[in-house]
Amino acid sequence: MICRPHCILLLALSMLSSLLARPYFNNLEAPESLEDLKKIQETLQVSLPKTRAATVCLEIGEGSGSGVIISEDGLVLTAAHVSGGVDKEITVVLEDGRKLKGRSLGLNSETDAAMLQITDPGPFPFVEVDMDDSFKLGDWVFALGHSGGFDKERGVNVRIGRMVRQADSTVQSDCMLIGGDSGGPLFDIEGKLIAIHSRVGASKEESMHVPIREFQRSWEEMSKGEFLGEGGFAKKPEPGSGFLGVMVEENEKGEIEVKELFSKSVAEKAGIKVGAILLEIDGKALANKDSFYDALSTKGVEEFVLIRWSFQEEVFEKKIELVERP
Amino acid sequence: MRVTIFFLSALLGLPIFASSLPSEQRKNNKLVQAALSPVQLSLQSGSAVFYNDSDRKPFLYGTVVSPDGYILTKASELELVEEFHVRIDEERYRELKVVAIDTVWDLALVKAEATELTPVVWAPSSDLAHGTWVVSNGATERRYRRPRPGIISANKRAISGGTQMVLGVGLKDTDEGIVITSITEGSGAEKAKLQKGDLIIKVDDQDSKKREDFVELIKEKTAEDSIELVVKRDEETLTLDVELTSRYKLYGGSKSRNDQMSGGDNHISRRRTGFPMVIQHETQLTRRSVGGPLLTFDGECVGLNIAAVNRVEVYAVPVENLLEVLSEMMEEAEANGKN
Repeated sequence: MICRPHCILLLALSMLSSLLARPYFNNLEAPESLEDLKKIQETLQVSLPKTRAATVCLEIGEGSGSGVIISEDGLVLTAAHVSGGVDKEITVVLEDGRKLKGRSLGLNSETDAAMLQITDPGPFPFVEVDMDDSFKLGDWVFALGHSGGFDKERGVNVRIGRMVRQADSTVQSDCMLIGGDSGGPLFDIEGKLIAIHSRVGASKEESMHVPIREFQRSWEEMSKGEFLGEGGFAKKPEPGSGFLGVMVEENEKGEIEVKELFSKSVAEKAGIKVGAILLEIDGKALANKDSFYDALSTKGVEEFVLIRWSFQEEVFEKKIELVERP
Repeated sequence: MRVTIFFLSALLGLPIFASSLPSEQRKNNKLVQAALSPVQLSLQSGSAVFYNDSDRKPFLYGTVVSPDGYILTKASELELVEEFHVRIDEERYRELKVVAIDTVWDLALVKAEATELTPVVWAPSSDLAHGTWVVSNGATERRYRRPRPGIISANKRAISGGTQMVLGVGLKDTDEGIVITSITEGSGAEKAKLQKGDLIIKVDDQDSKKREDFVELIKEKTAEDSIELVVKRDEETLTLDVELTSRYKLYGGSKSRNDQMSGGDNHISRRRTGFPMVIQHETQLTRRSVGGPLLTFDGECVGLNIAAVNRVEVYAVPVENLLEVLSEMMEEAEANGKN
């Protein structure tokens, strides 16, 4: 590639302008005076109201983590080890205590990136995402999260620090994190989302985050609800491990009839009764008993089946979450 | 109880190609400490270091509140050490006396034989918004107090913690009254030979029919005292004196994953609940680095660090509450001095 002098000048100018656009204290090796530190505080305090409002607590079964809303209609970024799987029901709690319904989209089990969608109607408070990957080593950053779970009196927990280590799939800051912060947002000091909290290291000052560029790499797939990779941050449900709790037989009319129902099973809780006729599973008509068991054998724990059945001349349809075999 | 989702700890392989920030440039280290040098002056004169005489190691900080040697600190940590001395600025003080204790706020007032100290200068804590810088005692050298920065990290609030004093029993409401369901090992209840199944009839001569009433009666107790219980066991009616124990002594110790992540008993304060009001900040402190003043960038004191709760949360008693308790403790000390 040939580079003429004016190209170099342009390049230099654009580099200069990107330096100028950054808060000056990020270009210092370290703050040199209380004045420098106060400027960091002022910038942070401008960023806090908006970023706090968009930081959410995610309640999944008995556990909780954090996340951040990045669009008006409620797209949330979090960590894969928080959402734990695809298409799961998640309760999203705002700092003011408002509880919203949500459902997990896709995740990457190798990088710990995940998405979920708030299914209640918006608009919601949201933050700007640094899609240009513009942060640098040494930049002042702040971490938000619902450390240890939701606490309305306390509110979102704020931590400050610097970007201390950069690598491809992980960035590290010296903001302190603890259980419950997982999936929460790391912002540049001006309030742009730059990463999601993932894990902590052996020493106290090692906090690892998944940078936005890792989300960008599999954005499409994650928004479609795909389970990516075979990493340790989330495990794919094992086919056949999911338990519904019914035993069926073909009756003399050739219908699939429920003969037995396990007490307290998810099928019973969904309202299926002994004598019910199963009509469809996941939108497909059932030809015989085997087609029912075959369909179930592909499903794992915490996965859903959509079942359509009739009982005493009434037709029902329900999405049922499968559980572990007792 | 809800569990939080935890980080997979460390060991997930650090990336091979990485660049990192030199250690001296990090938040808690040398260069930022140097920028804090104007505040360090207030820390140097306004904080005290408590040393354990037996190993000569510092185990707690204190806040200097008068020129003639009154120092406030955290009571539940101080009481663990039998003989101690104090260093303020460069001077060492060996003649020390604990003159008052407040168990509600977990504060101890200590008097050193000193003159012409420079106490902290108080400033209101009301305008401390989230994100405001505060400075606490970091590590200490013999002659030099290192400043450690942090920011206000959450809402000012009360921290519940049940009653501060406990009998060491499990209780259940029944139609007949309160029944004891369990006895904690090492508790006053065990020593007084209370038994499972005992029906509580009276507490300090007052009828007690419901758990709620019982808790109300105990709530007022703040010192390690004893109460008189009348219980019914089978057909017998017994009157027993039962010693009360501090909740943190009986049930203290770390239990949760987050506590372990925070370094466990070694790092978190023994008592970290049951404060009527706290300011929360995120300075990295341990149970050995609380007790000192919480300073603004103007070097003024807005609170006293009272508990290292976990790796991300430190509580401080707000100055407004602190001054109220301090004047009560001073009165108590004076009254005791006259006796």
